[in-house]
Parts: sequence; structure tokens; C-alpha cells
Amino acid sequence: MHYPFWYVPGLTSPMLIALIAVFHVLVSSYAVGGGLFLAMEVRYAHRTGNKEYLAYLKQHTWFFVLLTVAYGAITGVGIWWTIGLASPLPTEFLIHTFVFGWAMEYVFFVLEIVAAFIFYYAWDRLKPRVHEQIGWIYGISAWISLVIITAVTSFMLNPGNWQNNFWLAVLNPQTIPQILARTGASLLLATLYVFLHSSFRANNASVRTLIAQRSSRPAMLGAALILLGGLGWLLTVPESARAALTGAAALNIMAVTIFLLTVVVLFMFYYGPYKNPSWVSSGFAILLFVLGVIVTAEGEFVREAVRKPFVIYNEVYSHNVLKNEVPTLQQTGFLNGGVWTRHYITQRFPEIKTAEGKIDNARLATLPQDSQVEVGHTIFQYHCGSCHASSGYSGMKEILRGWDAPMLEKLVLNLDRYHYFMPPWSGTPEEAKMLTRYLETLTSPHPMETAGGRSSGVQSAASAR
Amino acid sequence: MNDFPLAPETPLGSPAPFWFILFFKTLGFTLHMIPMHIWFAGTVLIALFSLFGSAHARLLAHRMINALPILIALGINFGIVPLLFIQVSYYPVVYPANILIGWYWFAVIPLLIVAYYGVYYYAVQVRRNKVTARGVFCGVISSLAFLAIGYIFANNFSLMTNEPQMMAAYNRTAVGGAVTGTALNTGDPTLLPRWLMMFGLALTTAAVYILVDTVFLAKRETEEYRAWAAKFAFLLHTVGLVWFAAMGSWYLFGALSPELRQTAQSSVGVLFGLTAVAPGLVWLCMLLGRSRASDGRIALAAAAAQVVVLALNAVSRQWLQNVELARFFDPAKMRVETQWSPMIAFLVLFVLGLGVVGWMLWQLALALKPQPAMASSSGGSPKPRKR
Repeated sequence: MHYPFWYVPGLTSPMLIALIAVFHVLVSSYAVGGGLFLAMEVRYAHRTGNKEYLAYLKQHTWFFVLLTVAYGAITGVGIWWTIGLASPLPTEFLIHTFVFGWAMEYVFFVLEIVAAFIFYYAWDRLKPRVHEQIGWIYGISAWISLVIITAVTSFMLNPGNWQNNFWLAVLNPQTIPQILARTGASLLLATLYVFLHSSFRANNASVRTLIAQRSSRPAMLGAALILLGGLGWLLTVPESARAALTGAAALNIMAVTIFLLTVVVLFMFYYGPYKNPSWVSSGFAILLFVLGVIVTAEGEFVREAVRKPFVIYNEVYSHNVLKNEVPTLQQTGFLNGGVWTRHYITQRFPEIKTAEGKIDNARLATLPQDSQVEVGHTIFQYHCGSCHASSGYSGMKEILRGWDAPMLEKLVLNLDRYHYFMPPWSGTPEEAKMLTRYLETLTSPHPMETAGGRSSGVQSAASAR
Repeated sequence: MNDFPLAPETPLGSPAPFWFILFFKTLGFTLHMIPMHIWFAGTVLIALFSLFGSAHARLLAHRMINALPILIALGINFGIVPLLFIQVSYYPVVYPANILIGWYWFAVIPLLIVAYYGVYYYAVQVRRNKVTARGVFCGVISSLAFLAIGYIFANNFSLMTNEPQMMAAYNRTAVGGAVTGTALNTGDPTLLPRWLMMFGLALTTAAVYILVDTVFLAKRETEEYRAWAAKFAFLLHTVGLVWFAAMGSWYLFGALSPELRQTAQSSVGVLFGLTAVAPGLVWLCMLLGRSRASDGRIALAAAAAQVVVLALNAVSRQWLQNVELARFFDPAKMRVETQWSPMIAFLVLFVLGLGVVGWMLWQLALALKPQPAMASSSGGSPKPRKR
């Protein structure tokens, strides 16, 4: 509304964020946990004089650098890149709240990169103690960057009583639980990467056994942290998020699956690699890795989904409107509130433009039917388009089968009443009629409706309305 | 001011004074340009030399491709700073420009991934001394991807200061008031000279890098190669300088509006004059360095002077951006709510971070010192080395 809306047919632009974010998290978690793993294991290999293990660790570091410093870094920037395109207002809000958080994170990024390259490229040149120290500089910097970005993402779910204060925003109620869970996920995922890599690349059986034994401990710690952090997360999510989690079947199934799979993985590690290190075969490593990917992807999906109707809880709604703007928009109009919507409509329909250059809501109904549909389409793009495609992802054509005009208008005027995970209607009643006109063009017959007429159940429901 | 639909000012206010934002935005852009120029011009050189170069030229290509994975990682990170601070003060124009070219802007991410892994693939082959046609092909693809990214950036930053073009792009691509994200700023006469001017400047930075590499890092290579590389660096710098001057003239006298040019000449003529003549100082260093492939002082002087050239360029660009925007938007007038304690925390961390980086580099230098024969990283050179 404050910015032009990026229309991505069939998918919606915010889905592009999800696409990049999931693949990024899978690598960024490894960037943190893998860094700590390498620092710890290089120290162990140096202390025990285990040259074979050290040689494997060098090989693993190359894989690590190749994946995290290139792909991980670019997709990390990619998320930030894409949120500015798909959700500019929340991005503007976050930038103005956390610019110095990001600037601090940037310092740690630079430390990570310099440390990672020196750690790998000067592997055989550095004194063992210095090599270990540089490994720890990488690991600790990566973990601090996790802490900083988690403060931002947790703020989005529950800012608490932050009073426009940076430090209170950082220390929001969700920060510690999410840091615990993300640290746990990093340790666990890093072990899964190590297992996967070593099962294919470590030729020496004694090295594979050593890896299985030593890496299963941080993995089990990671699983325990995920469970602990997850519990804390559940206790500190806002009421609306808890309602979404328990009310939506898909979300509660996912949440339970995450919990159960984490417990299963914990036991698999204990009875598998920890007690029986020789069990770590390529198949076992692939199975664990796939489970890890599923849990991580589900975790990200749940974290994103429960935030609705907000992008930033209690501050910015999912339709790119500030919470405190809604009462004004309901008085003066959604289209008038948005600089781009107002520009578009007044240019397209100068007959409803006032002397002050605004849209006269009262005159909307005087427009011809086709023009009313067009106005409704603009409202749909800006009010609904972040979460719904006309047809496709969460598509209105599919959702609205069997709906009629009175039902639609009631729905539009009471969005948040019908579905508490939707934002409130943020326009005038006249605009609601325009949106209804457009939505009517997307409706199609009820799926139960047959060529010869409606089934009795549908008919009676319709007549009851 | 006019009818451009500017987003309302954020209720949060700017978290730092405008001068602070400008300082870090310009500093960050200067730091970003150093590695970015080396890969921007470097990948094109590498592709050309790999396909058509002499033995020395191919060795130079191999030396450069070996260093690029590190330079790209640093350059991407340095690029975060200006992009972060531009969003703090210029958000009402940055986001619309981004969104109008949405798909192209989004494509920067996959293009960068392709370019980066293309460089890695080629570099690994060079290190293993097994360069194949596929490796060279990856190098060529990387260079094309970086050129495309540069073109997209030129589109974005020329569009954000040109409100008639933004409105034209919006009207062209609006669907129900939303936009398809398929616009490019091709109607703007400044687009091409902007993009090409940056490439010319990149050639000069790459030339300075080649001289520094030859003098300090290529001690294991033959004298013939080092003499050739120093001469080539001078030639490349000369070509870059001529290119930069030609594109700069096109930009200033053929593309920029007369009012803006007038403003530029009258208010900060000295700054623009310095920006125009400073590369000449580097050229003199390169001229001296062309026959002294082992003179570290000349190479260091050239490098230092090039950093000054880039800093002047960044300041001039910033100044011009503000003047162009002043026609419809003035970021300096926005409300400021300085976040003092986070700002101080950042500055302290910044200094500490520099200290830690310095310590790591010092440790690296110490580690490399006892074995100077191993200092070079170009394992896969196509010519045998001396000794």
C-alpha cells in the first residue's frame, strides 16, 4: 500500500521468501553448528595427534567453506533482498528498528569469512594453537550472528512490551527460546551434514567410527535444546499464534511431527552412533539427513504460518498495513490510504477524484459494473494478494467455490471475525462492495453441485442463508 | 516536489543522523567496489585470456581465478553495508525501484550463485592443474552473470532517482494497480553510460590489483611473466582510463540533464574535477610500475591512490544521487530518533572486529613468513615456475 505491490501470479510474492528461506536455513544452521564442530574437533585432533582425523577435517572444511561461504552467504542476503520486494513495509519497520543489530551482525560476518578462509587455506601453516583459535573465532562469530538474527525473527513473532527500544526489542519474550531451539538445530544439522559427508568421503573406518562417537554428543545436545527451546517457544507465543497452531490441523500435525521426529532422532543417535558407532552407513546418514531436512522445513513453515494475521506481531499486518493505520483506513478508505492505490485509481477513474486529489468513496457505486470490478481487483491485489493468488497458491477461485455475493460481502467486512488469522477489513463499506464485485468474478459452482442441480445438503445450506 | 507517490515517513524515525548514514553508505560502497571491480572486470579478462590468451595471459587468468572465491565472499559482505544504510534513509524510493524491476532484482540471487560456483569450479580445476573446456565455459558463464548483475544494479539505481521513469515503468507494468516486476529502466539515457562507466573504473582497479599481485604475490613466477604482467597492468589501466573517461563524458555531457549538470558544475565542481583527474595519478604510478615489477613502493602507491579514486567516485555518486532525488525527495529532512546505545555498541564492535581481523591477518603473515616459497596460491599455472 505504501509501496507498489509485486504481483506474482499463481504463487504470491511472499512465497518467494519462503522458497529462499527454507534452503537458506538448512545451510546457515550448518554454518553455525559446523563451525563449532570444526573448532572443537580440530582442537581434539591436534591434542591427540590424530593426523588421519585432521586430514579428514581439512577435507570436510573445504566442503563446509564451499557450501556455507558461497551458497549460505548469498541466500542469506537473498532473504533480505526478497523481503524488500514482497513485504516492503515490514522490512522498512525492521530496518528502522534493527539497523544497528544488522550492522553488528555484519561485523561478525566479516570475521566469519576471514576466519573461514584462513582456517582452511593456511591449514598446514598455522601453529596448532593459532589454528584452533581461528576456528573458535569462526564458530563463536557464527553463533553470535545466529543470536542477532534470531532476535529479529523472534521479535516478529512476539515483540513484547518493547516501547520502541532496541534492547527491549532484542530481549523480547521469544528470544531465548528461539536461540535455544536454533542453536540446537544448528548442532543437530551440523552432525547430519558431517555424517553424510564422512560416510561418503572418509575412507578410513577408524575415522568414521571416531566421527560417529564424537559427533553424536553435540547432536543429542542439539535435539535436547530443540525440545527445550520448542517448549519455551510454545509458552511465549502470543495467544493468536497459539490459537493458529492448535486450530489449524496442518499446523498442529506439523508441530507434533517436529516434536516426535526430534525425539526419534535423539533416540536414534543414542542407540545408534553413540552406543554403536559402526552403524553409521551411507544409508543411515541419508535417512537422518532427510529427517533433519523435514523437521527444519516444517519448523520454518510453522514459525512463519503462526504469525498471521501479522508479519510483525501487533505492529504490521500481513497485508502491509500498520496496525494503527486500520481505524483511519476504515474511515477514509483503503485506496486513499495507499499512495500507489490512490494514484492508480484516480488516474484510471478521474470521475471519482475529489478536488484534493483523493478518491470519493461515495461515488464508487456510481461507476459502471466493469469499473467496479476493476476497483475491486486493485483492492484485492493490495489487501489480499500477499496471502492469496486469484488462482493457485491459496487461490480464491478454489476457496470461493459455491459462495454468493451476500456471503462474500459479509466475509469481507468481517475478515478477522470469520478467520482470526486474517487481518481486519481495512477499508470503507463502499470499498467492501467493490471487492465483493471482484470476488464474485472468481466464484464457481459448489463442488457438490451437479449438472442437474444442487445436492440437497448444499441446497438446504444455501436456503438457510 | 511533485505528484510522485512517496511512501509516508516511518513513525519510528531514522535511527541515526543523516550524516552517519551517508558516511557508512559511502565508506561501505568504497570497500565493496575494491573486490567487486576485480571480479567484475576480472572475470571478463579471465574468460578472454582462457579462450584466446598467450601462456602469460593464461597464467594471469589462473592467478586471478584462484583469488576470486575469497574476493567474491568479501565483496558480497562489503556490499551489505551500503544496501543496509540505503534502506534506512532512502526507503521511499529504493523499494519502489526494486519492486518495479522485481524479477530482475530477484534474479540477482540465482545469478550470483551461478557466477560464484562457476568461479569455484574453474578455480578448483586450476588448483588441480586440470583445466577443461567445461571449466573455461564456467568462467565465461560467470563473467556474463556478473555483467548482467551490474546491468541490473545500474537499472535499479538509475531508476530510483528518476521519478518520471519510475512512473512510466509503473504505468507500463501495472496489473490492477499492482506491478508485474518486469520493468527495466531502458528509457533512461543515463542507464548505459552508468553501467559502462563502472566497467571502465573496474578495469582500472583490476589493473592495479594485477600490479600488486605481480609485485607481492607472484614472486615464484618467472621474471618474464612478472615483466609481462606489469606491462599488461599498465596497458589495462590505460584502456580502463580511456573507457572511464569516454563513458564519464557520455554520462555527464550526453545523458545527464542540463540542470543537473549545471548544479554539479556550480556547487561541487572541485569534487567532480578531483574525481575526474584522480585516476590520472594512478595512471602515473602504473606508468612507473610497468618496468619495475619488483618495486613494492610503486605498487603500494598505486593501490593507495586507487582507493582514493574509488572513495572520490563514491562521494561524487552520493552527492549526485542526493541532487537528483532533491527534485522530489529529500532524505535529510526526515525525523531522526537516534539509537545512541546500539550505535555505540556497533562502533565498538566495528573497532574490535577490525582488531580481530588484523590479528588473524598478522597470524597468517607470520605463518607464511618462514616459507616464502609457498606464498603463491596459483597452483595450476600453465607455465613452469622458476627454480
